[in-house]
Amino acid sequence: MSTSSTTTSERPAVQTAHRSRARNNGVRTLVYHTLVAGFGLVMIYPILWLFASSFKSRAEIWTNVSSLIPQEFTLMNYVNGWKGFGGITFATFYANSFFYAGVATLLTVMASAIVAYGFARIQFTGRRFWFAAMLTTLMLPVQVQIIPQYIVFSELGWINTFYPLLLPRIGGQAFFIFMIMQFIRGIPKDLDEAAEMDGCGKGSIFFRIILPQIVPAMITAAIFAFYWTWEDFLTPLIYLNAPTLYTVSLALRAFADPSGTTDWGAIFAMSSLSLAPVFVIFVLFQRFLVEGISTTGLKG
Amino acid sequence: MNEAISVSAQPASGTKPAKRRKAKYRHDNLMGYLFISPWLVAFLAFTLLPIAASLFLAFTNYDVLNPNWKWVGLQNFERMFTRDPRYIKSLQATFYYAFIAIPLRLIFALGVAMLLNTHRRGVSGYRAAYYAPSIIGGSVAVAVMWREIFGTDGLINAILGTQVAWLGNPTTAIWTLIILAVWQFGSPMLIFLAGLKQIPREFYEAASIDGANGGRQFWHITLPLLTPIIFFNLVMQLISGFMVFTQAFIITGGAPLDTTLFYALYLYQRAFVSLQMGYASAMAWVLLAIIAIMTAVVFRSSSYWVFYGSQEE
Amino acid sequence: MRSRLSVFAMLLLVAVLVLSACAPAAAPGAAPAAEGESTEAAAPAADSGEKIELRVAWWGSQDRHDRTIAAIEQFEALHPNIDVVYEFAGWADYWTLMTTQAAGGNLPDVMQQDYARLEEWVSRGLLSPLDDFAADGTLNFANVSESALAGGRLDGVLYAVNLGTNSMMVVIDADKLAEAGMETPSPEWTFAEFEQFATELHDKLGILGISSDLSNEQLWKNTYLSLGEWVYNEDGSALGYEDDQPFIDYLNMVKRMQDAGVAETREQILAQAGGSVETNLIVTEQAAATYFWSNQIVAMSNAAGEGRNFILVPMPRPDGGASANYLKPSQFFSLTSQAKHPQEAAMFIDFITNDIEANKVLMAERGVPISSEVRAALEPLLNTPQRLMFDYIASIESTASPIPPADVAGHANFINNVYWPLALDPFLFGQQSVEDAMRILREEGNIVLAEAVGQ
Repeated sequence: MSTSSTTTSERPAVQTAHRSRARNNGVRTLVYHTLVAGFGLVMIYPILWLFASSFKSRAEIWTNVSSLIPQEFTLMNYVNGWKGFGGITFATFYANSFFYAGVATLLTVMASAIVAYGFARIQFTGRRFWFAAMLTTLMLPVQVQIIPQYIVFSELGWINTFYPLLLPRIGGQAFFIFMIMQFIRGIPKDLDEAAEMDGCGKGSIFFRIILPQIVPAMITAAIFAFYWTWEDFLTPLIYLNAPTLYTVSLALRAFADPSGTTDWGAIFAMSSLSLAPVFVIFVLFQRFLVEGISTTGLKG
Repeated sequence: MNEAISVSAQPASGTKPAKRRKAKYRHDNLMGYLFISPWLVAFLAFTLLPIAASLFLAFTNYDVLNPNWKWVGLQNFERMFTRDPRYIKSLQATFYYAFIAIPLRLIFALGVAMLLNTHRRGVSGYRAAYYAPSIIGGSVAVAVMWREIFGTDGLINAILGTQVAWLGNPTTAIWTLIILAVWQFGSPMLIFLAGLKQIPREFYEAASIDGANGGRQFWHITLPLLTPIIFFNLVMQLISGFMVFTQAFIITGGAPLDTTLFYALYLYQRAFVSLQMGYASAMAWVLLAIIAIMTAVVFRSSSYWVFYGSQEE
Repeated sequence: MRSRLSVFAMLLLVAVLVLSACAPAAAPGAAPAAEGESTEAAAPAADSGEKIELRVAWWGSQDRHDRTIAAIEQFEALHPNIDVVYEFAGWADYWTLMTTQAAGGNLPDVMQQDYARLEEWVSRGLLSPLDDFAADGTLNFANVSESALAGGRLDGVLYAVNLGTNSMMVVIDADKLAEAGMETPSPEWTFAEFEQFATELHDKLGILGISSDLSNEQLWKNTYLSLGEWVYNEDGSALGYEDDQPFIDYLNMVKRMQDAGVAETREQILAQAGGSVETNLIVTEQAAATYFWSNQIVAMSNAAGEGRNFILVPMPRPDGGASANYLKPSQFFSLTSQAKHPQEAAMFIDFITNDIEANKVLMAERGVPISSEVRAALEPLLNTPQRLMFDYIASIESTASPIPPADVAGHANFINNVYWPLALDPFLFGQQSVEDAMRILREEGNIVLAEAVGQ
């Protein structure tokens, strides 16, 4: 702001200017919040419906469908749903899901970051070939890979364990590798080169320079990896046969049967509940997305 | 503006003796493979065999449970394109869906990400609200929910005062799925957000000092610096868009009149309902070829519009 | 600070790798199935005193899972040397799972089977015959009528044991019927009378005369059954009837009813939320009648709530035709050819069929039990909808037509890739004439069916 000496007659003019700018900001904020919040409500309406339906009694679910307020509020759906199957409650399923999603996320994110650095920052023979191969693996529909993969794991004796689900994650996942690559490529090479001239190897460049700078990317990757693993059902279906090993996603799918009775209330209740952990992870981690990374090393 | 950003020291080449260059070359190769070894090992151990197997099966009439299967050469491929009207329909449905849903999703994702890239109060709440739809994913619940909303007695009809059978009408059914896809723009939005966060604030401050307003800042700072992320999102949305499966599987099952019979869904039906795994494998590889070609085109074009902070090829 | 971060990261990575090695590899009651390498022949371990593991799989919903598990626990109490390891899933997932296991040589000992898939699985040698077990008494069918077992026989060989009898029926809302001042139709009613009935209900009450999809393939089968024919030919290589006219007449009737608002159009049916019997329009009183399988009355009745009354009548028949009501097994238990313990598997199937206490827990959830003793024991325990189901089955048992042959190997393919997408749907959406639809059904259908039997 320019600091010009103001005479007593000019001061009120400056003050008016301040005030009107503040009012403009106030209007802007109001408009912003109205638009964003309004649209946001539209976005979450279906979820609100799901949540509301989980509190409706069996008789009401299909007869009073569109209302968001249950006529008769009940927690029975949660009680019934939680019971799970034959004595195995959702406590078991949640434990399994947390184990699976937690370990898989850790493995995936770490491995993907490491591999991404290799592809993004190191020139080595065959780099383009392997990158193309990696991307191509994403393009083949999983449905045709299931059976050959199952046979492989069956020969290894890993059916009914978590090994087929977790071990492949040691290689990261193509989606995250590519994503982190793009973030790394957005980081100017100056710091890298400076460090190299100082005698640092690729390894320490990765850990000391790159890794701290891709934290937002890794957080995003972690959120996605957790969520996708949490709701993955195809591989758990094939490889986790004992109901005591079932994940929440599997258990939910065993609830509905068109040829018999389906407890829709329980499905809604357990589905709503299953959103909770993913949501919590998101809320916890998204704080780290708030601060940007400043490249203070670039100045000068 | 570009000059201020692309500061990179010129490597002092030309003065290195050849021996040191060769050693660096070898060292880089070693480090490169070391770093990608996790992926490489997992790929060779767990992925390569199934992929090769499916390629082989594409040329057979393997039907999973029947031991008498044989090589049939190109018969599967020939049949797909000449004697299978459902296949053509699945291609149409998939392309239609992809070319509408993908751009819409990306536009919403970027727009909302920019809106949420502020420090205003409550923005983390908004972020959660906009991401929440994506969490619902492909569960049984979302199928019921979506059918409920678009049902004949559902919410949409209640609001619009109509009685349209959105899910049963061949023209509108696919739009319910498109809207579902766009509703779930939270994932690419988050990625854009992470990308926006990575743009150093100093650039914007410097630009403000130089007198650039919001619009110019967007065009000259935000957009160029965001291109690697836009590129990534475009490629990934393209790939996943063409492989769309779960939502159609649980909500419409391909109906009505196969207008929502997406490629991957038809593939699944052929594989696990009709048990024609050979045919399904052939379909899978054709899809791979289609996606690969499109991705390659996007990659090729990237040198024209994607700008990396570091000067890479 | 940054180097500490990287050290931490490395430690984390190592810790995670170690952790994953200690993953819950097996839970009590389950064992890692390394059967792929097992050299053990399928020699029945019988009661040699050592614990054996019997694997059982079924599909269903929470209700069925709970009941079946309870029944299994009773079985285990009776046979302390048998440890039953079970798996279950929803309908669609079940077949994905079973198919994958079959391809990997890893099928369970006992699997639940479906009439439409039986031929498919038997023709691929995945199910084992059960006649020997019936002969030596392991499977006790003393209280089971031959007709109840007929559904599980292919070429006279027993491959699957009926878990519950079903039959298709028309369900009428009794209160709506009274409101319209109409009479219950006769069990031998014709399609013409059916059309009249539904139209009258619609005209008098202003709601749908009948809900549910009237162009379902089940009705296509019923039409020809009534005329003494079967839709498939002997070896399953082509359609089994020559004259398209009966079904054309039927479809024209359906179209008339749809156009008049008496029945739902295909579009409306597809647009309906839920898609399960609980969301049938009769539940919300938007339809006066509907039709489905007899074991679904329980679910529908529960959804409709207290105080609703229903009348069950057999399906109508074409003019001059015989009854097409046959008793269909809702599900079966089969012995797979990859079973490790066939003897114990047979014992288990016998238990489910005959044990009174077990059936008191299962409570006819899969349909009416085939053993007359079990039925008698359950009689006093039935609730209203269950009783309706029992009574209905009992009432048509004497007049039921014999069960038609199992669906041929190409059935699933035919229905999914020809019947609906190429023939029926285009007709129902007004894109082709019914005659064209039938022609395409025949031409394309024969191709698909022939392929399935390797011609």
